[in-house]
Amino acid sequence: MNDLRLTERDLDNRTARMTARKVQVHYGQNHALKDVDVDILDKTVTAFIGPSGCGKSTFLRCLNRMNDTIAACRVEGQITLEGEDIYDRRVDPVQLRAKVGMVFQKPNPFPKSIYDNVAYGPRIHGLARNRAELDEVVEKSLRRAALWAEVKDRLHAPGTGLSGGQQQRLCIARAVATEPEVLLMDEPCSALDPIATAQVEELIDELRENFSVVIVTHSMQQAARVSQKTAFFHMGHLVEHGDTAQIFTNPRDPRTESYITGRIG
Amino acid sequence: MTLPLLLLLLVILALGSFLAGRARALMVAGGDARRLHSLPAHHGLNLMLAFALPSAVALAGWLLARPAAAPGPAAMLAIPAIGLAAAASLWLTMRPESRARNEVEAAAKGFLILCSVIAIATTVGIVLSLLFETAGFFRQYPAAKFFFGTVWRPDFRGDSDLGFLPLLWGTIYVSAIALAVAVPVGLFAAVYMSEYASPRFRTFAKPAIEMLAGIPTIVYGLFALITVGPLLRDWIASPLGLGTSGASVATAGLVMGVMTIPFVSSLSDDIINAVPQSLRDGSLGLGATKSETIRQVVLPAALPGIVGAVLLAASRAIGETMIVVLGAGAAAKLSLNPFEAMTTVTVKIVSQLTGDTDFSAPETLVAFALGLTLFALTLGLNILALIIVRKYREQYE
Repeated sequence: MNDLRLTERDLDNRTARMTARKVQVHYGQNHALKDVDVDILDKTVTAFIGPSGCGKSTFLRCLNRMNDTIAACRVEGQITLEGEDIYDRRVDPVQLRAKVGMVFQKPNPFPKSIYDNVAYGPRIHGLARNRAELDEVVEKSLRRAALWAEVKDRLHAPGTGLSGGQQQRLCIARAVATEPEVLLMDEPCSALDPIATAQVEELIDELRENFSVVIVTHSMQQAARVSQKTAFFHMGHLVEHGDTAQIFTNPRDPRTESYITGRIG
Repeated sequence: MTLPLLLLLLVILALGSFLAGRARALMVAGGDARRLHSLPAHHGLNLMLAFALPSAVALAGWLLARPAAAPGPAAMLAIPAIGLAAAASLWLTMRPESRARNEVEAAAKGFLILCSVIAIATTVGIVLSLLFETAGFFRQYPAAKFFFGTVWRPDFRGDSDLGFLPLLWGTIYVSAIALAVAVPVGLFAAVYMSEYASPRFRTFAKPAIEMLAGIPTIVYGLFALITVGPLLRDWIASPLGLGTSGASVATAGLVMGVMTIPFVSSLSDDIINAVPQSLRDGSLGLGATKSETIRQVVLPAALPGIVGAVLLAASRAIGETMIVVLGAGAAAKLSLNPFEAMTTVTVKIVSQLTGDTDFSAPETLVAFALGLTLFALTLGLNILALIIVRKYREQYE
């Protein structure tokens, strides 16, 4: 694994933002996730890796209750955000998703202008009191997503007219505009070319200053490049979870070793 | 010797030439189909075309030349003979490398072009026939009086007032009421069906709504005449002092609105379903509620299609006749009161053309002018729809 550039790690005094304990997910008869325990640390990028169908995306969608939209899906166990159980009956999934933002596999800008795409979250959550504040939020979010310089002269052009990489950064800007505490990314680079991928990866590293980021990826190089913590999923089990450097250089479980050396998955 | 017998003979010979062509192909290939450029069936089809096309042309030419007479024995033999001669020359020149497949493909393409041309030519023919009759009308009646006249009082003894405006107003008024009913009800029903309803409810409710489209309009007309009309008169119009007429614009508009609900709801439902799930996920993932997602993301994305559905409903409403006859009456009037009897362009076209008609009197020819104006109106609506759809498509895709 010498070709992997492992990012420096300073994780000593990080607190857990989200914790998952004994999480089980069923799709109808299918037991998709079994006994998953993970901590998502503050200001840290956590990568979920594993072969297709291993349950990593399913688990990611549990963290902001996006699985609620699928009728056949049942989640058990405990997931907390800031110590509060997010599956508690008093928790409104709509409010939860404002705190736990999500970026999807394929860029999915709304059929609106660039400005309206980014302003969408702040508008529905009433985060800006007037137009000037909203302008400020939009600019800040686009700057955070490293897109401001490219689009500042055409904020009112349709978001769907951007290139694929720009669209994905627009979706990231849209997600950070609501000031979430945790940002979930489901294979955010799988539809992008290498240059756009590099830009988004750089961006993920910068986002770490303000948010906890969880990224699902098929690329082990990507996990090694951007994350500080890595969790390896296999057939619905969380096989191994630890510092990225340790997972990639000194895996404890033979299945992890097989996967990162390319023998399974 | 009759025409049906001749047609039967031609069909039998065509089938025979298909079989002959297929057999001949295998024969020239020495029984090994792999040596052929085209499949044996292609050669069969090609030979059949070689027989059928010249025969069909000969038959058509003969029918055009002597349309009334039955074919005599000479024609009975000459027509298939022409086809057989063409087929036989192809049969003789067939080689393993003959490109029968390409010929058959070209013939298939030609057939498809012919069908499109028939459809287009029919439209052109309709417009032309309307145009000629309308020109005849305007030679006898001044165009300005037709387009800007406010009185509709046809009199077959002459000296009629044939003002178009009362009819146009009736058409617009009734259609507007119909759309005011159909668009919100249909659209919201579609939103419920596609976004909220459980699959079980959907399988039962969607056909039930679409059944509305299958009811003949005369039945809607009866419903307007005996139920809705008296109801509106007794409960709304009379107490408010707005009139005592059972037939009214509101009656026809309401019933017509119910009739057009399935056009709006069924099309909108399909269009809303076609909006990618990723857009809904994106919005829900930002903490938007379901109704916010629908209002701000799904409906704007579906807008071009919804506009198309609404305009389709509008052209249905403009062209509707039966419901208006029974629901709104036949009195051409310019009035704002929705509880008064009025009438529309289509109803007047019918009433000008029924009964003893004299196709040189302006009172009859006015029907063609009305028809052409109606056609122009719906054409304008369709063009408007295209412009709107194109504008939003540029923005949304």
